Amino acid sequence: VAPARRVFLNAVFLALILGSAYDIVTDREHWPFSQYPMFSVAWHSPTFTWLRLFGVTADGREFPLVSNQYIAPFDDSRLPKALKRIMDGPDGPARVRTAVGECLARYDALRADRMHDGPPIVAMRLYELEWTIDPSAANIDIPDRRRLITEVDQP
Amino acid sequence: MTAARREWNRFWFAPGAAATLGMCRLLFFGMLCVWMLPHDFSAWGSYSPVFWMPIRLFDVARVPPPSTDSLILMQTVWKTALVLSALGLFTQPAMLIAAALGLYLLGLPHNFGQTQHFDTLVVFALAALALSRAGDAWSLDVLLNPGRPREPEQSGEYTWPIRFVWVAMALIFFAAGISKLRHSGLDWIFSDSFALMLVRQQYHISDGEPLTSWGIAIAAHPWLSHAMAASAVSVETLFPLALFSRRARRVVVPAGLMFLVGIRVLMGPTFEQFMMCYVFWVPWERVTAIVRDHAHVDLRRRLARGDADRLFTTADEPH
Repeated sequence: VAPARRVFLNAVFLALILGSAYDIVTDREHWPFSQYPMFSVAWHSPTFTWLRLFGVTADGREFPLVSNQYIAPFDDSRLPKALKRIMDGPDGPARVRTAVGECLARYDALRADRMHDGPPIVAMRLYELEWTIDPSAANIDIPDRRRLITEVDQP
Repeated sequence: MTAARREWNRFWFAPGAAATLGMCRLLFFGMLCVWMLPHDFSAWGSYSPVFWMPIRLFDVARVPPPSTDSLILMQTVWKTALVLSALGLFTQPAMLIAAALGLYLLGLPHNFGQTQHFDTLVVFALAALALSRAGDAWSLDVLLNPGRPREPEQSGEYTWPIRFVWVAMALIFFAAGISKLRHSGLDWIFSDSFALMLVRQQYHISDGEPLTSWGIAIAAHPWLSHAMAASAVSVETLFPLALFSRRARRVVVPAGLMFLVGIRVLMGPTFEQFMMCYVFWVPWERVTAIVRDHAHVDLRRRLARGDADRLFTTADEPH
């Protein structure tokens, strides 16, 4: 390896190592560097809350959008966290309404493209659900509590 | 200091075979193609700025929310570059494009509310390959160009990209282990935390569904969930040993892969892209030598058995 190229490559190696070390030491994230905090906080609570979208059919029936195919390119992890950040940000209620409206439009677009076989819906609702963690996860479809955050009808 | 420098240089630039790096390139880009071809990034362009929460890289670079049309164009070019990189055709420019557009396209979803961590290693691997001479073997560029040597001399140029991915992977595992110890200490192992997480993951809260419900069964046995939590933290924090000890490598590297498989099976998060980078741990020149030796032995055995006629007759010849 030529000397000049070796210097350049060493700089690349150091960038990788120092960039990673910085995020590890400071416990911060600068993607693609990260301190990789996933699952790092011990969980002791027997309950947890989660935001979830529900579709509403013409006959008033509700169903949860628990499959990524209804919300792609979002997924069941990213979308609730995005909605939570929007909710907690400035002008949260109005912005989360806009966001849910876009999820409704996206559901329809995916349905039109036959990317999922969900029923046609007339509205979309965002709930905050709370569960007590059941040892056999038997209550997945039956949360202890649910709070309506917003509802958006078809335009 | 001189000894440390010598070790540093030996680690990164020990002479290596072009065939190993070439095979890593072929397999890595090949798998990434298969994984990414059905993936549509253009849908991110259909959201309004209400969802746009840029990560630092995009914020500092003042990258605006994308349009659907620009994403369609970019992903088409990117996927083409992935295919060309895998085939080893126009390898150098293809790998450069794959790395540059990969940084953008793989980073893009993280600007929509959550930074996930499945693809950081892929970004580093793409960057390393873009700067490498990974097209010197197992490539159409070599096959189609009679002037290029079929078996280039061993060089440090064929070692450092592989070691780069090793180091990046080791840093990622290590950071994840340290994160757990920093935020939770040994509580992460000895409390009921891991068991609760295993069950909680069944409630449709992950980017991918757990492939099985075995997490529930494991959570029902505290000793088993404690043992799994302990092994997870151990594998993560001890992974850097794989860089320095061949013996540790034999244990820690497969254990890390099993750990990722375990996460996917029990908890859901989709680490498939990360797992693709395991091709860089395989000494492909030795694997191909073993396969070649077996093929020769098999041929000699068949010749010794008198199968030569059958081996060398074509379908048109009378038996």
